Amino acid sequence: MKQVNSLEISPLIRFQELSKRYGKRQIFNDVSFDFQAKSSYLLTGRNGSGKSTLLRVMSGLLKPDSGLIHVKGQTNHPGLSWSKQQIALRDVVMYMHQSPYLFDGSVRKNLEYAIVNTPNSGQREQQVEQALQWAGLDDLSRSPAKQLSGGEKQRVALARAWLRNSSILLLDEPTANLDQMSRKKTLELLASLKQSGVSLLIACHEYQEFMPITDGILQLNDGILQKI
Amino acid sequence: MQESLTSAVFEALKLLLSGDPQLWEIIGISFSVSGMAILIAVIPAVMIGFLLAFYDFHGRRILIAIFNTLLSVPAVVIGLTFYLLLSRQGPLGDLRLLFTQSAMVIGQIALCFPLLVAMSHTAFQSIERRAWETAITLGHSTLGALSLVIREARFALLAAVLTAFGRIIAEVGASMMLGGNILHHTRNIPTAIALETSKGEFAQGIALGIVLLLLAFVLNGLLHVFQGKGALS
Repeated sequence: MKQVNSLEISPLIRFQELSKRYGKRQIFNDVSFDFQAKSSYLLTGRNGSGKSTLLRVMSGLLKPDSGLIHVKGQTNHPGLSWSKQQIALRDVVMYMHQSPYLFDGSVRKNLEYAIVNTPNSGQREQQVEQALQWAGLDDLSRSPAKQLSGGEKQRVALARAWLRNSSILLLDEPTANLDQMSRKKTLELLASLKQSGVSLLIACHEYQEFMPITDGILQLNDGILQKI
Repeated sequence: MQESLTSAVFEALKLLLSGDPQLWEIIGISFSVSGMAILIAVIPAVMIGFLLAFYDFHGRRILIAIFNTLLSVPAVVIGLTFYLLLSRQGPLGDLRLLFTQSAMVIGQIALCFPLLVAMSHTAFQSIERRAWETAITLGHSTLGALSLVIREARFALLAAVLTAFGRIIAEVGASMMLGGNILHHTRNIPTAIALETSKGEFAQGIALGIVLLLLAFVLNGLLHVFQGKGALS
């Protein structure tokens, strides 16, 4: 077992001996990782090393072949159905695709989709206003989301994450294919999320730009996760 | 011949515009039977289309192949199959459904179901998997995420419903065999056209044909609008 411990306090989530293979290809094997509250990590590795697959497993979108997941001290033992483990994970973790998917409709409508537990419409509207302001999207609130630029789409996705308020945010190459200005804005928003207490795990190639918001670097190569 | 055709068309328009009760009753039966079939079939068919598009399970490919094969089964074969099932000697004979509107509805469900499944499958496939995953990761329940994805695919799904409705309202084989073409009960547009033509009474047949043509025109217009919106969104 290649245990990567971030800190020696009770973790938010403990992933233990996760393994995943596609056909004959072993993507990763016996990956263990403790996700501490309010911490931020980079996940690096070669192209095709399995970073995205690992993030998708950690977010509950993909079922691991084996391994244990403990969410907030609860052990999701092997007998527990995957759907129950998924529900437990989704309460705590949010995953952001490399190029975020925005739904048909305005920017505002897209932000509303991130508020699922606030029945009061006045409160919802207020939260959306705050998110628009937080991400600097005030001017675009009524624009069709699907027609935004890559950088603007990334800001909408981060505003949704801000509204969702998950303890852990997993990001797959959040600055890939963005221009310099958009990269800078994305990094500012990520720093703001970290400051507000969200734990981040960012899969990336060029990690220098993320160093100011990082507590540690993990490397996934040949199916093995190591702290560097 | 041309004179008799012209007079038949003239007579047909007169029947339509004068509100001939028998003619409009036949049109009403057609719409209620086909509408009911679509209403019953649409939800399970869309669900299956969704599962085929977004879930990987054992037998998925076989299921897709089966539904694609069922697409090309002729209406008369569906009619024959259900006729055998519903006839007195058949396994479902005790239900006494043969030659009722319910039997026609069953036949039309069997006809439109594979089409609805195949078209919803395609509709959901055109929506990226990321849509489903995003909805889930935003904290929506499975049902909530499903409604978001259905909203994304709404134009293509509406096109599926319109296409299926267009197919079953104009089919004659299953309706004739399962409904029996009984006046005031199971006579619908296509069976009435077949009957009137065989009797040499062209006026009512042409009038009903005009209704079907108009319906086809409206459905195609709507399809064009929805597919255009789907492509733009």
